[in-house]
Amino acid sequence: MNGFGSYHPAVLFSYYVLAVSFSMFSMHPVIILASVAGGFLLFGAQNGIRKLFKELGFFLVLFLLMSLVNPLFIHNGETVLFFMNDNPITLEAIIYGSMASLMIVGVLLWCRCYGAILTTEKFLYLFGKLIPKLGLILSMVFRFIPLFKVQIRKINQSQKTMGLYATDSVADKIGGGVRVFDSLVSWSMENSIDTADAMKARGYGLPGRTNFTLFRFRKRDGILMAVMGALAAAVFTGFAWGSYGFYYYPYVAEISRDIQSAAAYLIVLAFMCIPGILELKEKVSWNYLKSKI
Amino acid sequence: MELLKVEDLTFTYPRQKKDIDEAAPALEHVSFEIQEGEFIVVCGESGCGKTTLLKLLKRELAPFGEKSGKIWFRGVEQNSLTDREAACEIGYVLQNPENQTVTDKVWHELAFGLENMGVPTPVIRRRVAEMACFFGIDDWFRKKTTELSGGQKQLLNLASIMAMQPKLLILDEPTSQLDPIAASDFINTLVKINKDLGLTILMTEHRLEEVFPVADRVFVMDKGKILLMEPPREAGRDLKQINANHKMLLGLPSALRIYHGLDAPEAECPLTVRDGRNFLEENYENRICRLERKKTESEGTKKDRPIAMRMKDICFRYEKDLPDVLESVALTVYEGEIISLLGGNGAGKTTLLNVVSGANKPYRGKLEIFGKRIQKYSGKELYAGKLASLPQNPQTVFIKMTVREDYQEIQKVMGYSQEEMEQKISEIADLLGISHLLSRHPYDLSGGEQQKAALGKVLLLQPRLLLLDEPTKGIDAWSKHQLQLLLKDLKRQGIAILMVTHDVEFAAGVSDRCGLFFDHEITSLDTPEEFFCNNNYYTTAANRISRQRYENAVTCEEVIELCRQNRKIKSGDRSQQRNGQGEAHEETE
Repeated sequence: MNGFGSYHPAVLFSYYVLAVSFSMFSMHPVIILASVAGGFLLFGAQNGIRKLFKELGFFLVLFLLMSLVNPLFIHNGETVLFFMNDNPITLEAIIYGSMASLMIVGVLLWCRCYGAILTTEKFLYLFGKLIPKLGLILSMVFRFIPLFKVQIRKINQSQKTMGLYATDSVADKIGGGVRVFDSLVSWSMENSIDTADAMKARGYGLPGRTNFTLFRFRKRDGILMAVMGALAAAVFTGFAWGSYGFYYYPYVAEISRDIQSAAAYLIVLAFMCIPGILELKEKVSWNYLKSKI
Repeated sequence: MELLKVEDLTFTYPRQKKDIDEAAPALEHVSFEIQEGEFIVVCGESGCGKTTLLKLLKRELAPFGEKSGKIWFRGVEQNSLTDREAACEIGYVLQNPENQTVTDKVWHELAFGLENMGVPTPVIRRRVAEMACFFGIDDWFRKKTTELSGGQKQLLNLASIMAMQPKLLILDEPTSQLDPIAASDFINTLVKINKDLGLTILMTEHRLEEVFPVADRVFVMDKGKILLMEPPREAGRDLKQINANHKMLLGLPSALRIYHGLDAPEAECPLTVRDGRNFLEENYENRICRLERKKTESEGTKKDRPIAMRMKDICFRYEKDLPDVLESVALTVYEGEIISLLGGNGAGKTTLLNVVSGANKPYRGKLEIFGKRIQKYSGKELYAGKLASLPQNPQTVFIKMTVREDYQEIQKVMGYSQEEMEQKISEIADLLGISHLLSRHPYDLSGGEQQKAALGKVLLLQPRLLLLDEPTKGIDAWSKHQLQLLLKDLKRQGIAILMVTHDVEFAAGVSDRCGLFFDHEITSLDTPEEFFCNNNYYTTAANRISRQRYENAVTCEEVIELCRQNRKIKSGDRSQQRNGQGEAHEETE
C-alpha cells in the first residue's frame, strides 16, 4: 500500500502540524467543518466505512456533551431562548459551544489518524538526529518492554508451580509481586551485561557514529510538499487578509459569500482533504489493480 | 599468511574471596595458528576454558585477569590493533540469542554495527539489503526483534555481524539454545559462509553431530590446555587413545561413538551417518538383526501400577479468539515411568506441561493428578510433595542471593523444621553434585549448573510427579549422561516423570515411552524401540546408521552390543566379498 502513510516522515509531520494548528487557531465554522470533514475522510479511508460509523457514535456523544456544557455556563449573546434557574440560555452560546466541540472532535480525529500514520519509527527518525543517542535508547527501550512482559509471566508461573505464594490471598499476591519484581531486576541486570558485550563487540563507542533509516525523500514527497506549501501559504494569506475572521458574540457573524471568501474556503477544504483523498485514491486504484490480477 | 596466531597464552582469573585454594589458570600455555579460510571447532566439556579462550581473542570482551603470552591478528599484535580494526574485523556471536539483540527492529539491528562504524546511509542501505538477501531475512525485515523465534534471532545476530564484513568470525556455542532443526539450519548457514565467502570461522559447540564432520580442524580442550589440534577424523581417532574414559567421548557424533565402542582401530574412522553405515557394512555381519531386550519391570507390570496423572479430552487455548493449542489430548502417566514428548517448535508441548502443572487452565476435559481432580487441589496443596515442574529457563526459579537461600524457601511450602531443611538440602546437593555451588549467586553459575541447581530446588518439594521442560538445553554431553542416570534413579524411587524435549538421543536413552506431539495432540505414544524404529527421520543418529542392517537398535550402546553379537567380518572374508562383487560387475558388463 502506498497511501498517505508511505510519504516521507518530514512531509507527514509538517502536514500534521499545519492541519492541527489551522483547526485549532481559528473558530471560523468553515475551517472547523473542513477540518472535521478531512479528518473523517482520512479515518474512513484508513479504516473502512464500518469502523467509521462505529466511531461516529463515540464522537457524537462527545460532541453533544461538550456543546451542552457551554450554554449552561456562558450567558453572552443577544438571542435569549429561555431561562434556566434564572439564567438565560442564548442561541449564540449554543452555536459557539457546538462549534468549539466540533473543533475538539476534529483535532481528536486527526490525532487518532496520526497514531496510525506517524509511527514511533518515523518520529524517532525525525528527532533522532537532534539527539543521536535518544534514538538508540528509545529503540532499546521498545525492545525491553515486551521482553519484560514475557519474563514476568514466566517467573510468576514457575514460582507458583513451586507452591510459593500460590494462594489467592492478598498477602500472597503482594508478596509474590514483590518477589517477581525482585527477580526481574536481577534478571535484567544480568542479561544486560550480555547486551553491553554484544554492543561493544560490534563497535559501539567508535567515533563518528551514523544513524541509518529506511526513509528516503523521493520525487513524490517533493511534489506533495510543494502542493502542501502552496496551499498553506494561501491559507496564511487568507488569515492575514481576515478571510477567516469570525465572531459569535454578541451575535453570530454572517459567513461572507463573496468570491474571494469562497476561494479561501475552497483552499482550506482542499488542504484538509489531501490525506483522505490520497488514501482513498490508493484504495480505489488498488481495488482496480486487484481486479485485474 | 596465518590470520590468527596465539603464542603461549596463559590466563588466570582473579582470585575470589570465596575460593579457598589458589585459583588454577583458566588457560595454560595455549599456542596455535589459524590459516585464512579455515573452519575450526573447539570442543571440550563445560568449564574447560573454551569461552575464556574465545573471549581473549576478541579484545573488547577479554575478561579481567592475569594474562601472559601473545596474540597476533593478521600479523599485528592484539594490543596494537586500532579500535576500529579490533571491533570490526573480528565478529563475535554469543551463546544466548536473546541478550545480544540490541534494537527493536530487524532492519535496525542489521544496521547497528555499520552505524557504529560511521558508514554513510547509502552504503548501509546496500549492505543491509545484501545481507538480508543472503540470509533469507527479507520476509521478516521489518518485523520487531521480539517477535522472532530463537533460530531467527540467532540468524539475525549472525547476519548483523556479517554486515560489518569481519575477517574472522568467532561463535560461542551459538546453537545451544536452539531446537535441532533451527540449529542445523544455522550450522548449514555457517558452512555456506565458510565455503562461499572463504570466511575464517572459529566456534565452540556441545552438539557435535553436525558440526564435527564439516570442520577443517578440531581443537579438543581439557582443563585449560589444548589436547588435540587435528582434522576431525584424526581427532576422533586419537582422543580415545589419549584417554579411553575422556568425558568428551560422550559428546562425539554417534558414528564415532559406535566406532570407539567397537574398538576397531584398523578401520577408517567414520564421522557422518553415511560413513557409519559403510563402516558397519564393511566390518560387521548381520546374522542377528534383533536385539533381545530384557523386559524391564516397568513394562511388564505397568498396568498394575498406580496412576500418577491422567488427562482426557483436554482442550486449551490462550484466548477466546485464538485457535486451540491443545485439542482433545489424552495421556496417562503411571508412577515410576519416564515419558518423553517430542515435537516441533511451537507445537504446544510446553503448554501441555503448563496445563498439568496447573498454570494453564483447560476449558474442557478432565485432569486427575493422583486420582484427584486438579480443581480440587487448593493453594499449595498440589505442589507440596505431589507435583513439581522445572521450567525451560532455570533462571526463573531463582529469586534469592544464593542457591542455599533459594533452597531454604521450600521450607515454607513443605513445613520442614530448620534441621530437617538443612539435611534435605545437603542430601539433594550431594545427589546432584552441587554442594560447592550452594553459597554462589544463581546467576554466577554456568548454564548447566543453573539447570542442576534449579532441578535441586524443584526436587526439594519431594514430588511424585516431575515435569521437565527441555532439561538438556545447553548442557554438555557429560552432564546429559549424569542427568540420565539421575532421572533413572528417581524413576526407581517410583517418581513419574513427564518430559518435553527436542533431544532425540536423550529421550531414546532414558524414556519408557516416547510420543510425538503433532497437530495439537499426542500421536504414536510407544516404547522408544517401537517409536524410533518406525520413524525414518525423527529418530536417533545411531538408529539411522544401523537401520539397514539391524532392526531395533536405537542408542549407540545398542548398536555396539548388536555388532559384538554379530562378530566381525574377517579381513579375508571382506576381500573375498569385494572380489566377488568385482567379478559380478565384470560379468554383467
